[in-house]
Amino acid sequence: MEPEPPIQCCNPTLESVKLGNPNRRTIDHGGVGGRASSDEFGRAVSRIAVAQICESAGFNGVKNSAIEALSDVTISYLIDLGKIAEFYANLAGRSQCSVFDLILGLEDLEQVKGFIGSGQSQCLLGSGTVRDLMRFVNCGDEVPFAQPISNFPVIRQRKVIPSFLQMGEAPPSKHIPPWLPALPDPHTYIHTPMWDERTCDPREDKVEQARQRRKAERSLLSLQKRLLLCSGSVETRNTTSNVVVPSGGGASLRQGEGEGGDKNPYLKAPVVNKDVSPVPLPGKLSDDVDMIANHVSVLEAFAPAIEMMRSSGVLCEDDGMQGRTVLPAVRPTVYFKFRAGKKLIHESLDMRNQKKDASRTAALAGREDERDDKKRRAELILKQSMENPQELTLL
Amino acid sequence: MNPNHNPQSSDGGRHDDDAALTEFLASLMDYTPTIPDELVEHYLAKSGFQSPDLRLTRLVAVATQKFVAEVAGDALQHCKARQATIPKDKRDRQQKDKRLVLTMEDLTKALHDV
Repeated sequence: MEPEPPIQCCNPTLESVKLGNPNRRTIDHGGVGGRASSDEFGRAVSRIAVAQICESAGFNGVKNSAIEALSDVTISYLIDLGKIAEFYANLAGRSQCSVFDLILGLEDLEQVKGFIGSGQSQCLLGSGTVRDLMRFVNCGDEVPFAQPISNFPVIRQRKVIPSFLQMGEAPPSKHIPPWLPALPDPHTYIHTPMWDERTCDPREDKVEQARQRRKAERSLLSLQKRLLLCSGSVETRNTTSNVVVPSGGGASLRQGEGEGGDKNPYLKAPVVNKDVSPVPLPGKLSDDVDMIANHVSVLEAFAPAIEMMRSSGVLCEDDGMQGRTVLPAVRPTVYFKFRAGKKLIHESLDMRNQKKDASRTAALAGREDERDDKKRRAELILKQSMENPQELTLL
Repeated sequence: MNPNHNPQSSDGGRHDDDAALTEFLASLMDYTPTIPDELVEHYLAKSGFQSPDLRLTRLVAVATQKFVAEVAGDALQHCKARQATIPKDKRDRQQKDKRLVLTMEDLTKALHDV
């Protein structure tokens, strides 16, 4: 005996029914295994009905295993009765069952127990079974089922594949009739690779390639100029000042060196410790004379920017203060503007004067401040370019 | 329905039986069996029983209910009999009398006699 708590018969609810119990022993109904998942609802309903019948019979409680077994028996009784009645109907050559088929079936099922009048072959109308049934109905109390049940099993509307006729398609070959479901679209089973269609124009491709190559060369050249400038500025610091007194675009570097250095203390050559090894020039640039001449003009044009950079203390200090004189390992980015003109130098001088104090603190403060200075300078240059649109033509 | 179309009902008794059956089937519509109609229809359809008549479905439901009631009644008899045989103790007996529980043991005994 299993020590299970008995279930109260008096309050059956569908929620209290335990569904899907794998340990439950179930009666096999033609192939349905231990877990009859499709039949769960029917079993639950029969459980409740049987519990109600037990309660009306006089029981106060029901054991779980007992109620499961009895509900299984009930279901098998129902199915057997239907089978037998159907058998008798088929025997008589009918497909639809009548009341007599049912009566015969009932008699068959009750033959074991025996009923009044079983031995006599009489008209079914007066059979003992029916009389017992009548007596049962008339005497017993009517106990309707506890809860309303919808018509089950619920038939779900299946999505039907439209036929050839419905799709408006013609079947691919003669042997397929048009009322059959249509074949799936070819894109569902054939994999076709997709790529962007591009008009192939070899001439355009070559032109584009050449343009990209030229762009790369230009950027490389500008980088090398920058490197040369850095090394050049390091070298010229020790020899002469590279401040240019501009008179136009053609002022040479030497000219500026001689005159500027004596008169203006601010234009003196800065003292710098050459701790950083100069950047080795690429062989191509150092050998080419024309390129050197170009470099001179480039240096002259870059003078203001370099002066600004120096004044900020990145390279050195103007008044000879031995501050940070070491070139940083990471070359700072220099904002270049190809420009020439007096105004700019004046402005640069003013800026130098303004920024001298700021630069000292900046140098002492750290690299972040240097970057801020550079940003400010870049903004100033941009402002100047906005004010002097005619000088933009030099770019 | 078939009881009405019975060609052999020439006897008076049969007429009575016929009438009784008809009346009984009609009365079934008023009586609501404990086993719901949907359940009965589902399992009858599973077994191949075809009938558009609701009275037959009710008849099957009533027949099943009678069967289960008989089994339950037999089990109850067994249960009570077992309680009577247990050595009596006034307090225990009162407790057990109140709780009549259908157990597997009683059920197997009742089903065995079917």
